[in-house]
Amino acid sequence: MNKNESVNIVLTGRIDSNNAAQVEKDMLSQLEGKSGSPVVLDASGLEYISSAGLRVLLRMKKSNPDMSITGVSSEVYEILDMTGFTEMLNVEKAYRVVSVEGCEEIGRGANGTVYRIDQDNVVKVYKNADALADIQHEREVARIALVLGIPTAISYDVVKVGESYGSVFELLNASSFSKILANEPDKMDWCVKEYVNMLKKIHGTEVPAGKLPDMKETVVSWAKFMQDYLPEKTAKKLLELVNAVPHDDHMIHGDYHTKNIVLQNDEVLIIDMDTLAVGHPIFELASMFNSFMGYSELDHEVIKKFQGFDFETGSTFWHKSLAAYLGTGSETKLTEVENKARIIGYMRMIRRSIRRQGLETEEGRAEIEFQKEKLISLVEKTDTLLFNTSELEIEASAENLSEVQLFIDEHLEKTGCPAKTMMQIGVAVEEIFVNIANYAYAPEIGKATVRVEVEEQPLAVTITFVDHGVPYDPLAKEDPDVTLSAEERKIGGLGVFLVKKTMDDVSYEYNNGKNILKMKKNM
Amino acid sequence: MLNINKTIENGKATFALEGRLDTVTAPELEKSLKDSIDGVAELVLDFDKLEYISSAGLRVLLSAQKTMLEKGGMKITNVSEIISEIFEVTGFSEILTVE
Repeated sequence: MNKNESVNIVLTGRIDSNNAAQVEKDMLSQLEGKSGSPVVLDASGLEYISSAGLRVLLRMKKSNPDMSITGVSSEVYEILDMTGFTEMLNVEKAYRVVSVEGCEEIGRGANGTVYRIDQDNVVKVYKNADALADIQHEREVARIALVLGIPTAISYDVVKVGESYGSVFELLNASSFSKILANEPDKMDWCVKEYVNMLKKIHGTEVPAGKLPDMKETVVSWAKFMQDYLPEKTAKKLLELVNAVPHDDHMIHGDYHTKNIVLQNDEVLIIDMDTLAVGHPIFELASMFNSFMGYSELDHEVIKKFQGFDFETGSTFWHKSLAAYLGTGSETKLTEVENKARIIGYMRMIRRSIRRQGLETEEGRAEIEFQKEKLISLVEKTDTLLFNTSELEIEASAENLSEVQLFIDEHLEKTGCPAKTMMQIGVAVEEIFVNIANYAYAPEIGKATVRVEVEEQPLAVTITFVDHGVPYDPLAKEDPDVTLSAEERKIGGLGVFLVKKTMDDVSYEYNNGKNILKMKKNM
Repeated sequence: MLNINKTIENGKATFALEGRLDTVTAPELEKSLKDSIDGVAELVLDFDKLEYISSAGLRVLLSAQKTMLEKGGMKITNVSEIISEIFEVTGFSEILTVE
């Protein structure tokens, strides 16, 4: 027998001077030949132990110093504590037993389910039967988050729920955002606002190095897993895309959906902190996409079971939240960022299905195939997983003009730009963008990138247009003579002239196959 | 978006414009003018609810002005300060009748 294998000894009833000698004899026989082995005393059936019993334990500890005692009731714990035995032995208290039968399920995460056990308390029951380490981890990360200013609940007790462990939180009158969305659809916009505020708060929180796991490492491991299941070219590019995401010290929640956001009285709290990590926000957006869209893309009933609201509500909530988070209503921008999130989202779902034997059922294979096809085409057309909210890449066509202007106006509105300046900038943007649309790629259609940069003190905005079309300097054109009479004046030619007149600085260069036009307006 | 409210009475046409006169909407105004300008001696463009004008809009105005010079007259009413600035910069305030 292995010397390090621990010996389990069960203690029951009362141990006092009446039976101490007998108990000692029984224990010695169980320990025979196992001197030095770790000993675990299971005290879950122990009601009382007197000093005679304690002396037995003390003698036992001499031959087997590595001794612990588990399942200790509060009464026995008090005795051990008073006599200093808690210093000598590794003592584990018994867990209170809690039943969740008939309790309302209020949340569900990757590792467990949250139930309300009474008016003031909820319990999160862990899936993993051996969850004590997970509970410890979640407590620790929730504490880190709370200290850094994130409103969350921290568990105050560990309990036994059937064969699993649970952690108990105080959560009064709380209602999850999923429940609110399902029952009060008119609160959609309020929920979006609060949900995004909390998200920005989390993503704006810098975490001291080493305190939380790095999400990038996890996502890199997913991309490596995928190498065997994707065409070589896609697999390679996928790994490159993920590797190119820079390290980010800001917090991400990791499972940020509406069951994990609760309204307690008037306070919004985030719960289910076990997936807390640091990393680039695109990782968070990927898991949000999965929660609201990805997991239920093929079967719309999935989200109903999980969140309690229908697919349409979920997809509206996701799109509104993404728009509020990115601060833009530009569909092109939203689709661009969503597509980046989908790459990580699909990769995660495919890996999950494969690990759950998804390839062994027809249904599983169909789903994996569906997601794989999307993943391959998204990876094909994506060059980076990063996104920049001050830059819009869009097809250069007159129909897209209003979207470009909207995108620029959103940035200008934040600066408190006067209406007159907004209009001048709007006109200048129109002239340049329409020029690109009409001439850069004609008769084909190509893309233009529009970038907005705002400088403070003094307040100024610079807008840059980049296209890959034929080299063309719109500024080289001669200015029209604006002193001529109506009969003499030629129609047209005013656009670029207006740009020059209303902007403070306009420049053009052709560089590296790109037309780059910059205009600056002081405000 | 551009809304054009057209009224024609006794050779006087009034076009009340609402919204934006830009690359996308200017052709709509151009067509609307062309369709109804026959027999019109006086053209009034009411800019009261016009929020925005770009060079594409100016082009339509100049072309209408040229046509109306031969037929009678054209004037633009209720021009906002923001739009008058554009007229100033481009010399349009000199060649259009702006009220």
